[in-house]
Amino acid sequence: MGGRSGQRVLPWRVRDLSWISKIQVNQPAVLRRAEQIQARRPVKKEWQAAWLLKAVTFIDLTTLSGDDTPSNVQRLCYKAKYPIREDLLKALNVHDKGITTAAVCVYPARVCDAVKALKAAGCDIPVASVATGFPAGQTHLKTRLEEIRLAVEDGASEIDVVINRTLVLTGQWEALYDEIRQFRKACGEAHLKTILATGELGSLTNVYKASMVAMMAGSDFIKTSTGKESVNATFPVAIVMLRAIRDFFWKTGNKVGFKPAGGIRSAKDSLAWLSLIKEELGDEWLKPELFRIGASTLLADIERQIYHHVTGRYAAYHDLPMS
Amino acid sequence: MAATRAEPRAREIFTTLEYGPVPESHACALAWLDTQDRHLGHYVNGKWLKPEHRSSVSCQDPITGENLASCLQAQTEDVVAAVEAARTSLENWSLLPGAIRAQHLTRLAKMIQKHQRLLWTLESLVTGRAVREVRDRDVPLAQQLLQYHAVQAYAQEEALAGWEPIGVIGLILPPTFSFLEMMWRICPALAVGCTVVVLVPPASPTSLLLAQLAGELGSFPGILNVISGPAPLWPVLASQPGVQKVAFCGAVEEGRALQRTLAGKGPELGLALGAESLLLLTEAADVDSAVEGVVDAAWSDRSRGGLRLLIQESVWDETMRRLQERMGRLRGGRGLDGAVDMGARGAAAHDLAQRYVREAQSQGAQVFQAGSVPSDSPFFPPTLVSDLLPASPCTQAEVPWPLVVASPFRTAKEALALANGTPRGGSASVWSERLGQALALAYGLRVGTVWINAHGLRDAAVPTGGCKESGSSWHGGPDGLYEYLQPSGTPARLPYLSESLNYDTFGLVVPSTLPAGPETGPSPAPPYGLFVGGRFQAPGARSSRPIWDSQGNLHGYVAEGGAKDIRGAVEAAHQASPSWVGQSPGARAALLCALAAALERRGSTLAARLERHGVELKVAKAEVELSARRLRVWGARVQAQGRTLQVAELRGPVLQLREPLGVLAIVCPDKWPLLALVSLLAPALAHGNTVVLVPSGACPIPALEVCQDMVTLLPAGLVNVVTGDRDHLTRCLALHQDIQALWYFGSAQGSQFVEWASAGNLKPVWVNRGCPRAWDQEAEGAGPELGLRAARTKALWLPMGD
Repeated sequence: MGGRSGQRVLPWRVRDLSWISKIQVNQPAVLRRAEQIQARRPVKKEWQAAWLLKAVTFIDLTTLSGDDTPSNVQRLCYKAKYPIREDLLKALNVHDKGITTAAVCVYPARVCDAVKALKAAGCDIPVASVATGFPAGQTHLKTRLEEIRLAVEDGASEIDVVINRTLVLTGQWEALYDEIRQFRKACGEAHLKTILATGELGSLTNVYKASMVAMMAGSDFIKTSTGKESVNATFPVAIVMLRAIRDFFWKTGNKVGFKPAGGIRSAKDSLAWLSLIKEELGDEWLKPELFRIGASTLLADIERQIYHHVTGRYAAYHDLPMS
Repeated sequence: MAATRAEPRAREIFTTLEYGPVPESHACALAWLDTQDRHLGHYVNGKWLKPEHRSSVSCQDPITGENLASCLQAQTEDVVAAVEAARTSLENWSLLPGAIRAQHLTRLAKMIQKHQRLLWTLESLVTGRAVREVRDRDVPLAQQLLQYHAVQAYAQEEALAGWEPIGVIGLILPPTFSFLEMMWRICPALAVGCTVVVLVPPASPTSLLLAQLAGELGSFPGILNVISGPAPLWPVLASQPGVQKVAFCGAVEEGRALQRTLAGKGPELGLALGAESLLLLTEAADVDSAVEGVVDAAWSDRSRGGLRLLIQESVWDETMRRLQERMGRLRGGRGLDGAVDMGARGAAAHDLAQRYVREAQSQGAQVFQAGSVPSDSPFFPPTLVSDLLPASPCTQAEVPWPLVVASPFRTAKEALALANGTPRGGSASVWSERLGQALALAYGLRVGTVWINAHGLRDAAVPTGGCKESGSSWHGGPDGLYEYLQPSGTPARLPYLSESLNYDTFGLVVPSTLPAGPETGPSPAPPYGLFVGGRFQAPGARSSRPIWDSQGNLHGYVAEGGAKDIRGAVEAAHQASPSWVGQSPGARAALLCALAAALERRGSTLAARLERHGVELKVAKAEVELSARRLRVWGARVQAQGRTLQVAELRGPVLQLREPLGVLAIVCPDKWPLLALVSLLAPALAHGNTVVLVPSGACPIPALEVCQDMVTLLPAGLVNVVTGDRDHLTRCLALHQDIQALWYFGSAQGSQFVEWASAGNLKPVWVNRGCPRAWDQEAEGAGPELGLRAARTKALWLPMGD
């Protein structure tokens, strides 16, 4: 992933608020679409196994708890490197595909631990750090920017920032744009993932507008939620964000990534997310550079499903290594 | 490590991330066919009927062509047997308390729930439709329909007092969607106490399976009988003695032909025709959601027909881009695959679509096809046709599945003109985030169902129907119940067919009339002329006909109206229509009250006129009084029109609107020259219609007297009265394409002609079959039946959310 910033045409700064002035999202229609899309593209058998393995490579394996310590961060990093039992991968003949999770995502104070652990494991999985007063974003802009710089200094190559919901709810789109621009600058070479905290934006129309502003300001990814709000990644919200991503691509030619986070726990959910991306944006978005799933317990369920696919048996708790 | 069962393909799929097949096993459907030895007959009176010496049609998988079973084709004897079973069980079933019928319907709903996998796999297997749609929508809807109508049956004695079941219903179904269309109609029919004979097209096993499930409930075996047979059997079923109503669902031309065939044969005909829908996309729409609406309407195996798509010019390019992009992601394939959007519907549907595409291309249209769909017949890819101008011949035809024909419009006003400019009046959706605009369009569309910012939603509680050539029958909701009910005491419908009636010459020429001597009428002399456009006009023919009183004396001359006068009257009525429709019911009621007062002021003259025609003075006075009352009653009744329905799975209301029919033609009976006229006119006006009226032939003078008050009281053109030869005027009205409904009270021959001729624009007709009607009785003269017939329903879906 490190090489990607080289390909990017920087900066893709556009600031055209007319793009969001007329937009109207019809919530009941989006809810219907969300309901349909989950039932229309089931995948079974070896397709399911292959899709699940692919889903593993999209995971930002996350721990964001008050009780995180170097030891559990280290465990997490090893799990990121070896997400699925080697024999299962061999059985599916994909052991040489270098399947790891896409990144490890931690609090800023744990970035050093994660970088160290991954170096020890001998892999180049990027470390993502949340920042800017995560999860509420209600701290001074100065400290929020400083937080980003410190995390980058510690070795985080991806920064998940939260936006200031106050600016959205009061309609200060230009101010929001300016703030995210400053985040962008503070990130330097690191990738910027902008968390919209969609559960707190009030309406789907606001979700679209915030997505568009975040992309115009130079985000590499837009992300649904922190995982700490009461409403997390939902399909209706995702549909609106994906449509914004596609509109932005059509207008500028730039592909922005998408990261749902929070509440994605089962393997079945992850399949629905993959098919959602495939349906709304197409295959070219189905790669770790453009699609991530923020999750902590999802990986365990995927491994269990793959175990079942390979062996025909349901795994016991001790059959699979913990993270 | 346990032995592996993984296939080598996973590695490949890991790179391509393609979709795989998700086959739904149809073993249980085949097993059911095996129980019939792959040989299906008819299901009559709770038993399988497999008569010998019948031809049979093979039921094939529309995709593989595999022979699934052979289906016997009914002959007249089988139809007779089925109708006989329905008639026998009618006596018992219709007299049961509603609660018992409700119980039976609930049991059937449970039966469906228990065997739903069999139902959906069989339906998907034989129709080729996507199993997802059958499983997730049709089957739950079938259960919901049964439950909703069970509740209606419970409430029947109280809520529908004064109504009784019509009798035996003949139901004729189209080849696609026969299962669901059947459920929409048998549920209300059975709920209110009718029994049904369903004639399904050859090779429709799902309907037979449903009949078997109902039959296996044990009690009441003969209430639902299903026979399968070809189109020539339709009139045979319709003309069986005892069949009181025929509900037909199918193509427009088939319905038109059937109406002509059935003229005078007795049963009432309820038509639900055509399958095309309309989607109106304004610049204020959420375009991405509207594109999903197009997918719902045309490319998700949800509807029978294609879609006409109207797009505002300012968002044309954007919409087309999104639409084409979306089409690329559609998947077609075997219906039993759980991950396809569209199945296939057999060779006939494929060829129909293919023909339309070729013809459109030859007329200069652009055709865009996309989606991952197998390229061989019978699969047909999602197709978008544009640049097909309204004047090209292709546009006249109905858009077939799975086509979408897109055309631009400039303003909302033009959108309405384009949308209403087709003979179809089924369903439409309006996409706009501006509430005012959306409602204005929804109210302006002449269709039965309008969805705002959604398409194709259905619910058992919401009436679905149409107007214009989509037929004027209803299913679902309260309106669906009235389709199978009649006012208590209505005599059985018997054939009144006159074989000798020549449709070409009936009422064609007016016998010429000569001066018959001096008028001996009282003074002042009655007004002379045709009351058209708010004033008395000389007739086009410039001739008159004499009116004789009961003594045989010449009462006076009335104008001899003709085809040109009818044309003028209809034009005047159309011109008056918009402002009358725009009036509030209160304002209309006030005008009717004013007219009633004027009638009373003129009471003595009117009574005298009636007396001269042999009515006793006391009775004549009573007739005038009652007429005035009728005007006031209807004014008051229409105040409480329409209602809001609450629907499962929808946040937001569904408005059940009662809209005027448009221009309503009324041919009044000879008897009760004043009362019958007012009894018919009052509900028509109160509901917002404008009227062209032919008064009593024997005694038109009171009508002309009333017109004198209308000159001053009513807006010009609201009511137009044309006197003259009744047969001739009836002919002109029945053949007129721009009259929206026709009520005829006259001879049996006239009724038969009206039924035959109205097939031209399929306007709803109400004829008396030559039978007299007791206009002075409350039930027949002012009953709710008149109100039902005087307006049509529109269901307006308003999903809400931020």
